[in-house]
Amino acid sequence: MTIAPPRPTTDARRAFFDARPADSAAVDLSVRIGSLTLANPVMPASGCFGPSLGRLIPVAELGAVVTKTVFGTPRGGNAAHRLTEIRAGMVNSVGIPSRGAAGYLASQHPLYLALGVPVIVSVGGHRPGEYAPVVQGLRGAGDAYELNVSCPNLDRHGTDIGSDPDAIGTVVRLVRQETDKPLIVKLPVLVSSIADCAQAAEAAGADAVCVANSIPALPLTADTRSPVLGNVIGGLSGPNIRPIVLRLVWLAARAVDIPVIACGGIETADDALDYFSVGARAVQVGTASFGRPFAMVDITRALQERCLAAGAADIGELIELWRA
Amino acid sequence: MTSTTGNTPAAPATAAETPAVAAAREDLAALRRQQAFAAADEAALDGLIAVRPPERRPRPDPVWDDAPVLVHEVVGERYRRLVLATDTIATTALAGQFLMITVPPAEGERILLPRPMAIHRRHPEQGTVEVIYGVAGRGTTALADVAVGESLLVTGPLGRGFEFPDAAEPDAALPTAAHPRPARTALMIGRGVGVCAIMGSVEDAARLGIAATVVLSGRSRANLIGPADCAELGARVIPVTDDDGSSALPALGGRLRGLFGSAPPDVILVCGAGVLARLAAELGAEWGVPVQVSLEAHMACGLGYCHGCAAPVATDPAVEGPLVCVDGPVFDAVLPGG
Ligand SMILES: Cc1cc2nc3c(=O)[nH]c(=O)nc-3n(C[C@H](O)[C@H](O)[C@H](O)COP(=O)(O)OP(=O)(O)OC[C@H]3O[C@@H](n4cnc5c(N)ncnc54)[C@H](O)[C@@H]3O)c2cc1C
Ligand SMILES: Cc1cc2nc3c(=O)[nH]c(=O)nc-3n(C[C@H](O)[C@H](O)[C@H](O)COP(=O)(O)O)c2cc1C
Ligand code: FES
Repeated sequence: MTIAPPRPTTDARRAFFDARPADSAAVDLSVRIGSLTLANPVMPASGCFGPSLGRLIPVAELGAVVTKTVFGTPRGGNAAHRLTEIRAGMVNSVGIPSRGAAGYLASQHPLYLALGVPVIVSVGGHRPGEYAPVVQGLRGAGDAYELNVSCPNLDRHGTDIGSDPDAIGTVVRLVRQETDKPLIVKLPVLVSSIADCAQAAEAAGADAVCVANSIPALPLTADTRSPVLGNVIGGLSGPNIRPIVLRLVWLAARAVDIPVIACGGIETADDALDYFSVGARAVQVGTASFGRPFAMVDITRALQERCLAAGAADIGELIELWRA
Repeated sequence: MTSTTGNTPAAPATAAETPAVAAAREDLAALRRQQAFAAADEAALDGLIAVRPPERRPRPDPVWDDAPVLVHEVVGERYRRLVLATDTIATTALAGQFLMITVPPAEGERILLPRPMAIHRRHPEQGTVEVIYGVAGRGTTALADVAVGESLLVTGPLGRGFEFPDAAEPDAALPTAAHPRPARTALMIGRGVGVCAIMGSVEDAARLGIAATVVLSGRSRANLIGPADCAELGARVIPVTDDDGSSALPALGGRLRGLFGSAPPDVILVCGAGVLARLAAELGAEWGVPVQVSLEAHMACGLGYCHGCAAPVATDPAVEGPLVCVDGPVFDAVLPGG
């Protein structure tokens, strides 16, 4: 659908596509999430990716893609402003507009499938019982499901489902009855024990946990001290949350045997390696893609180059080499 | 959304008032004026905005680019002009499309989200585009520090721009706002940096032989964006400013009715203030001509996937409304019930 320019033109995007590295048999970046093998451990964070990004970056170089959270029934999303930036980072309260499982299948899933990498469908609910019907409604679409439990539980006066190990267990058990596909539980930051939450997910049959979601925050305008966001409260994301999430990933990785997928403020391969060094097995990139659309692909390429340069066969060996 | 006390004067000065208190009182009064203005602007858009029918021309593919800064200069008292070398964007961008500009890290300041900016001018032969911006908050303050010779990461061209009506529906007996006749004349109204969104259409008008009249609105003559561009492009300019009262809505409305009442333009394009969009929609309804308005919203991706840029269009609460970055930024402006 491009309008043919009157003459050939150049841009950095084209050069970036052309610079695709050769596959190297010497380095194995693959990672297993239950029965699913990803070619490399880099993927987008839910809500920070869409098929339209495929026009700007070679998505096929990612390990997987993750959809925006799909709820069972259509939801409209929050009032403007839905996002802003303050010194501490990005704050969003998009409100997860969703077309429901049927809407996702009809309008979004075909676009995700065309990207040519595994599709992880993020699933949400406002009661522990609401997740399994969404997975059922997806009728097998998707290579794995990420259960976004950072949602207020309407059965328990709005406490986050993901901060309640019992509720996490219920969600995973009910979804497990609907599907054999890999299940990832995406945990919130504000929990009394991330280890308890991760163990509840593992015990109920989850194949991985993702740590973590954005951190609840309240941005004010500088002049009138009024809330910037239509929803007043939003989620803080970006590089400043990295040390907070690093601690959670370290705690979770010590508590469970299933893989921990790290998500929080990752912008570069070095940030990803920080997380790998505290036990993460894969990483998700959110906010960084807005300012640098190619950030995820850059990380994937750099991880391969780092391993090659160090003569390491994989990321685990690279970290061992540093510490030897 | 915000309740405003715009008409309530600040507490009266007392004899014991120190300079610091006086300054704070002045700040408060300025804040109240600004709040009243913002509230009026938001209210003016209420019920006015509709997604445009499908485009006739496909949108160009967006790219990202490392665009060398060729010129970065102060214009007027409040704005800065950037000339960026970005070949593909300069060659493909349509009038009214925008860029996302990533502000590079500077000492002590990291800006995470790219800033949306209209493409003010396209120079396909030189492979350059121009952007004019005002320093508003942290992002644009940091942008102002970028030096000539550095590169900016830009993504674009993005969004749906302005379109001149060029074909009446075959079954339309007489041209109406819904079935306009091909544009031979256009009225364009821009205020402040909103002028930038319409300048691409002034360029198109010059190319297509459409007679353009451009209202440039701003605080003062020294602060108007676009007089030189319009002169270069052969458009008639109507400068209106706050300091002499000519930008006030009743004055501007009366003047435009006088100028166009007997021979209305074929289309009205507007950007920069909700109240101007409403005035344009009123004129459009009176004259039976279509009105297009370019809107702003906070944005993260610019590509339609973050769902951050909800347009001010009332929809069923269970259905997501249009997004400014992909369904706009240009929308139809139609008076409610019109
Ligand atoms: C399609 C489009 C075209 C635009 N074209 C121009 C232009 O040509 N020239 C120009 O000067 N400005 C333009 N703007 C407005 C410009 O994007 C804002 O002035 C800028 O984002 C403010 O950033 P800041 O960091 O200085 O302000 P801050 O207030 O510190 O920004 C905080 C956050 O709010 C967002 N934000 C604040 N004000 C606006 C706004 N008015 N519009 C959108 N986001 C905002 C910022 O992007 C940032 O995410 C345009 C906006 C849009 C949506
Ligand atoms: C605009 C935006 C939308 C998001 N939407 C979702 C979502 O739908 N589901 C979800 O589980 N997390 C969502 N998140 C959270 C991110 O997936 C991620 O957990 C968080 O942003 C932290 O990572 P980061 O610092 O790399 O951005 C969203 C974040 C942003 C910024
Ligand atoms: S800016 Fe992301 S959807 Fe519009």
